[in-house]
Amino acid sequence: MKNNKNETVFGQNVSVKNANLWYGDFQALKNIGIEIPEGKVTAFIGPSGCGKSTFLKCFNRMNDLVSGCRVEGEFKIGEADIYDRSTDVNALRKNVGMVFQKPNPFPMSVYDNVAYGPRTFGVRKRSELDELVEESLKAAAMWDELKDRLDKSALGLSGGQQQRLCIARALAVKPKIILMDEPTSALDPISTGKIEELCEELKKTTTIVIVTHNMQQATRISDKTGFFLLGELVEYGDTDDIFSSPKDERTERYITGRFG
Amino acid sequence: MTSTKVKERAGRIAFTAAAILCIVAVVAIFVFLIVKSAPAFVKLGVFDFVFGDEWQPSSSDTYGGATAGTYGIFTMIVGTVAATAGALLVGGILGYFTAVFLAFFCPKKLKRVLGATINLLAGIPSVVYGFFGVVFLLPVLALIAPNNGSGLLATSIILGVMILPTVVSLSKTSLEAVPRSYYEGAVALGATHTQAVFKTVVPAARSGITASLVLGIGRALGETMAVVMIAGNAATYPTGLFGSFRTLTANIVLEMGYAGELQEGALVATGVVLLAFTFLINVVFGALSSRAVRSAAKPKKERGGKRSAIGRGLAAFRARVWDFFGNVAYKGKSSYVGMCAAIASGTISGVILVLVIGFIFLKGIPHLSWELLFGKFEFASEKITIFPSVVTTLMAVALSLLIAVPIGIMTAVFLNEYARSGNIFVRFVRGAIDILSGVPSIVYGLFGMITFVKIFGGSSSILAGSLTVSIMLLPTIVRSTEESLKSVADSLREGSLALGAGKLRTIFKVVLPSALPGIFSAIVLAMGRVLSESAPFIYTMGSVIWATPSSYMDNGATLAVALYRLAGEGWHTNEAYATAVVLIVLVLALNLLAEWIAGKLNKKLTGDKK
Repeated sequence: MKNNKNETVFGQNVSVKNANLWYGDFQALKNIGIEIPEGKVTAFIGPSGCGKSTFLKCFNRMNDLVSGCRVEGEFKIGEADIYDRSTDVNALRKNVGMVFQKPNPFPMSVYDNVAYGPRTFGVRKRSELDELVEESLKAAAMWDELKDRLDKSALGLSGGQQQRLCIARALAVKPKIILMDEPTSALDPISTGKIEELCEELKKTTTIVIVTHNMQQATRISDKTGFFLLGELVEYGDTDDIFSSPKDERTERYITGRFG
Repeated sequence: MTSTKVKERAGRIAFTAAAILCIVAVVAIFVFLIVKSAPAFVKLGVFDFVFGDEWQPSSSDTYGGATAGTYGIFTMIVGTVAATAGALLVGGILGYFTAVFLAFFCPKKLKRVLGATINLLAGIPSVVYGFFGVVFLLPVLALIAPNNGSGLLATSIILGVMILPTVVSLSKTSLEAVPRSYYEGAVALGATHTQAVFKTVVPAARSGITASLVLGIGRALGETMAVVMIAGNAATYPTGLFGSFRTLTANIVLEMGYAGELQEGALVATGVVLLAFTFLINVVFGALSSRAVRSAAKPKKERGGKRSAIGRGLAAFRARVWDFFGNVAYKGKSSYVGMCAAIASGTISGVILVLVIGFIFLKGIPHLSWELLFGKFEFASEKITIFPSVVTTLMAVALSLLIAVPIGIMTAVFLNEYARSGNIFVRFVRGAIDILSGVPSIVYGLFGMITFVKIFGGSSSILAGSLTVSIMLLPTIVRSTEESLKSVADSLREGSLALGAGKLRTIFKVVLPSALPGIFSAIVLAMGRVLSESAPFIYTMGSVIWATPSSYMDNGATLAVALYRLAGEGWHTNEAYATAVVLIVLVLALNLLAEWIAGKLNKKLTGDKK
């Protein structure tokens, strides 16, 4: 990542204007604008297929991998326009980490999983890596559980542990923002609780954007909530306001469980 | 930014280049075969060549001037068709019922043993089968035959046994893939076990069984060495069960060694006809089995429509054949016929397998000795050693894998990680791989002889042979690597990319390591293939068994070729038995190794939890 001229500086806040996205002929996102503040947890809620995950994946350009996907609009992270031609996608993804719906630890040891990101960006010194691994596992509140089995395969961990390991893995490259795509939907309530606690802790240093199917989860952990429906951002505001006094009728019907 | 981008681009170019090489290989094979055979076709006339039934070549014939010999291959076309049909009759029927037996009538313990043995048998070199034919089958048949037992019957039986493993294992897989609920549904309606199996499960697995038969036909059609050893090889029509005859493949291998100018052209032309046959079979039966798949997926009314006359005819024929099988299996109120056929076939297959391996082991093991394996070859003595062949084999395996494995893996990576489906270049690459896998091994031998051997100074060498066989290995490696790449979950790729890793790093650090078990098995199986092939080697690498090669420019015989020589020359039968034992043991060991590696790595990759 040596580019002395104009290394892009990614900030901690996200600003989107007039975002449209198509999968082939199907328009999955319609004219979305949003300001996601720094150091907060922002939740996206809405029924399946409403575009919330698709929108999330624009922030680290994972949608680039989908063939036939076309994006329009202005996406800014800090001051950097992430869909600009000069943007280094890899550097973007280093700064905007992601945790997936299903835990996806690599088939390697716990240590190598966490060290994967730093190694990708050129950290080779063992002492430095050791430090980063410990730091990240501590930040993900699993150092005590795992410090004696760093060299064991990550696939031997439980589902909840695997997901927290994936969070630690994302933290190891010191991202400014972490995207979470339904991170607890494959987990039991206790593991879910642990990850929610973790979010509380992480937002001190990192902006978190989380997609969730679970409205209780949104109320428990998020500061801001956006409600998506059929590719539109219907309503966006402080979580308390959205859940106590929604302005849009569709939001109200959704959060009171009348559809979705 | 810059260095990563350069690396990414270089990676993409390298992977694409490997894929291009596969296309180049196919084009080269076709161009060289056509260029080499065209003058012969022109000189002899396509019609006269294909439909002429007299083959009396003269090695002094050239493209200019009058010809002293006669070149017509129709007797061999008939011979090839007859032998293939015979093989299908023996191996197809036996294999079909054996598969049914294994899947539905076999005690569990026996099933594991028998299934594993049959899989291993697929790897046994064809020369070993030919040799078994010579030393066991021919003497037995001679008891009732007017000659030494060679001819159409012997060839059909040996080819049938050779295609048995292919037919059994593929049919069994597709039978077992039929949802259990079909069987349960039939039984719940009051059908007996046999009725449920033959009337419900088997029809549902038709397309897979047809595909297994097509593969079997392909193998029988392209088989060379085993046929040469037992067919009799007279260039005449096969008359009766014991009539001597010659196949297209045999024609090439019998005469290529001393062919004159026009004769060589005619032999390459024979290869072209053989290739045409192979593709015809694949196209016709491929269409047949894919139609079976499609029609199984569609309700009956939607079928028909734009079907051509040939298509209708084939479909009707297929339906007739299947009804025949179904009815034979199911005849009579008792419906025991099918069960009996299945059990009998299973038993016969088991006996054959035990017989082939047991006979060769019993006869061969007493003659295994240090002297034979690692001794020094002395002329004009009884001191025979296969040490030169051991060295040759090792050299050939090493070099051909060194060439084929990287290209094969890279092509697979290109196809699975870079290619966008529907892209025309990608379709060409896939087509090339399909074609390569259908080319009979003797045709590779021909190609190697008219290219690599010529390039390296006109005499055969281990280098030329290894290059030849490495092309042959490509489809195996590409396909099984691609399979294992496909089995790597996309979520792992996404996980790596989301951490900011580039595509190249993702491939090398996450995807390929996860696919390792499959790739390793592919490599080991490729080794087995080099060990067991002989037809592509004879004229590219040589068949000298007494000189230990000291460089890749020397010629030499692999173990399989050595077995052919020892068996063919007749007075070294004991050494031939021992060599066959060595070959079988090596192939079996490689198969076990492949499974062991795959199992071990799989365990590592899926965690130490269990």
